[in-house]
Amino acid sequence: MRRILLAATVACAPFTATANPSITGIIDDHILPRFEALALTSQALSQAAMQNCDPTSDDLRTAYGAAFDAWVSASHLRFGPTEVDDRAFALAFWPDSRGATPRALATLIADEDPIGLDAVGYSEVSIAARGFYALEFLIYDDDLMNAGNSAYHCTLVQTVTADIAATSLAIHNDWQTHKDVLLSPGPDATYRSDEEVLQEMLRALTAGLQFTQDSRLGRPLGTFDRPRPTRAEARRSGRSALHVVLSLMSLQDLASHLAVSDATLSDTLDRQFEDALGKLAALNDPIFAGVADPQSRLRVEVISQSIKTIRTTVGTELGPTLGVAAGFNSLDGD
Amino acid sequence: METGRRQFIAGLLATGIIPKPTWADAGSPSFLSAAALPDGTYVLCGIDANLNIAFQLPLPARGHAAAAHPLKPEAVAFARRPGTFAIVIDCVTGVQKAVLNSPAGRHFYGHGAFSADGSLLYTTENDYEAGRGRIGVWDVASSYARIDEWDSGGIGPHDIKRLPDSDVLVVANGGIDTHPYSGRTKLNIATMKPNLSYVQNGTVIESVALPPEMHKNSIRHLAVSPEGAVAFGMQWQGDGTPPRLVGQHHRGCEIALMQASRDQMRNMQGYVGSIAYAHDGTTIVATSPRGNTVQHYDAASAQILGSRSVSDVCGVATTANGFMLTTGTGQLASLTAAGNLFSKSEAVQWDNHLIPILPNATTQT
Repeated sequence: MRRILLAATVACAPFTATANPSITGIIDDHILPRFEALALTSQALSQAAMQNCDPTSDDLRTAYGAAFDAWVSASHLRFGPTEVDDRAFALAFWPDSRGATPRALATLIADEDPIGLDAVGYSEVSIAARGFYALEFLIYDDDLMNAGNSAYHCTLVQTVTADIAATSLAIHNDWQTHKDVLLSPGPDATYRSDEEVLQEMLRALTAGLQFTQDSRLGRPLGTFDRPRPTRAEARRSGRSALHVVLSLMSLQDLASHLAVSDATLSDTLDRQFEDALGKLAALNDPIFAGVADPQSRLRVEVISQSIKTIRTTVGTELGPTLGVAAGFNSLDGD
Repeated sequence: METGRRQFIAGLLATGIIPKPTWADAGSPSFLSAAALPDGTYVLCGIDANLNIAFQLPLPARGHAAAAHPLKPEAVAFARRPGTFAIVIDCVTGVQKAVLNSPAGRHFYGHGAFSADGSLLYTTENDYEAGRGRIGVWDVASSYARIDEWDSGGIGPHDIKRLPDSDVLVVANGGIDTHPYSGRTKLNIATMKPNLSYVQNGTVIESVALPPEMHKNSIRHLAVSPEGAVAFGMQWQGDGTPPRLVGQHHRGCEIALMQASRDQMRNMQGYVGSIAYAHDGTTIVATSPRGNTVQHYDAASAQILGSRSVSDVCGVATTANGFMLTTGTGQLASLTAAGNLFSKSEAVQWDNHLIPILPNATTQT
């Protein structure tokens, strides 16, 4: 009986007013919990570093993993509070094609630069020396985890984690008021209509998918002739594939909110996300080391292709339901 | 009749007894544009002043902009970034005359310009391991052999134009570092610093930057007025609505940014796709495919004059009495100075840029 009712609902869908994506729902169920988790886990990370700054400390590394997980799960929400003072970059300076992060850290350590001892002043250092990717070098990189004076190194770890906690807290705090910006569009407001708010969310989804495909998978894939396994994201801490999983799960959640008015589309997207996630689970290669081997490389390429499929669905099917046409020129830039 | 003459010329070319072919022999196109066909393949089209497609030649992948040789009916079609090919096409015979491959460690950005005498072609390129912008120099006479490479004066050079009656090049260094192995991912938004650089014979002779608060405004596309003023269109990489998206620069002066209301700025969705001066240089048109909007600015006062909605509009080029626009939906639209819009639809998707063929080239016989 339930199945029959459901079928009837679906059949009627094109002719009846359907539920629009709920902006309140996206804020309360998707955005705010993610930044709250980021603030809490970053605070815990900073505390763990205060208690034990040894790079090999299990407590420190566990807290690092939890906070980095929280960031990756929120990393597609690049508008409003994350963009003030380049906070998102201060948490996550990656990709770092020119090796700016290890260079900046090595210089700080070699010089025993006093700014590395100043948790408040640290926001003035090169953005490449801040955030989760810098911390990964300090606690996982064979050279940098042992570099320099151990007391300085210890304080630098505490400084970087305190800076991460402060940045994450600032984003979380700002969201408590920024949510009203999303909920009160108007002629003179940041957003003129609900549609523009939803388009911002759609951009977050689109950009998140692109980043995960092009950077998280594209960088290690390189080309067939020149694969680049050492460019895998956060490979030193073994997190490369985990980041793809976490970002896809987050993006799947956002997509499900945005596709709520079209049951068929919603199902399609769900299936496509599950397909990509299933293939990742079966890969069993946490740092994409297999990209250098033709056979295992193919499996990573297939995952990349499955994300491309999601991107196409989002661009050509979900976008138009939110008033964003998939124009030939508007779709993906110059 | 047109076809007859073209076949006749082609025949002559084959026998080697030839009057020098001119753009008239290519059907006197007024404009060039890359396009996608309904079957998913890509072409370079010549478009005449009556909005008819004068010729259509296949491309191996999606194009971006093209450059028309100033004298000969010859065009170079560039691959979309981060493409590595550019194709020289004889627009009379439809024969591919040469292929430019970017050297190892470089890719094209999709734009190029010829020297005043047509002997050299300049291309914007990415030295992606170093993260520096380059200008490739190619010798037309020796089948477009690469003969030199210059610094572009910044990161991420996109559009390049030549100032009138000179061999000074102006380059839009968009400031964004990308690497082909990460697709089109932007690597340095937090620290990007776009500029407009003037390059003469391999030397950067002048470079101007935006005010610091606008360092996330990527300078991308250029237009040059008959007097040598440079208009530029930008793409905002920061959060929210950008303060400005169009600017103008005269050599030796500060940049002037074109003013519009906040609402008008929002309509552009942070993105200018193409830009053009009116034939007398007094007004500037900027298109936004993301905002489905065309905006018109007064160059002298730097104030907006008006705007109109055109779906997926991107290409724009100057005509004698206004502008020609192209859209991703296949429209070819003539926008008159009086603001009237006459359009014609083709079963193609016009790509980003509409390239005018210089008047002295079209009138030559």
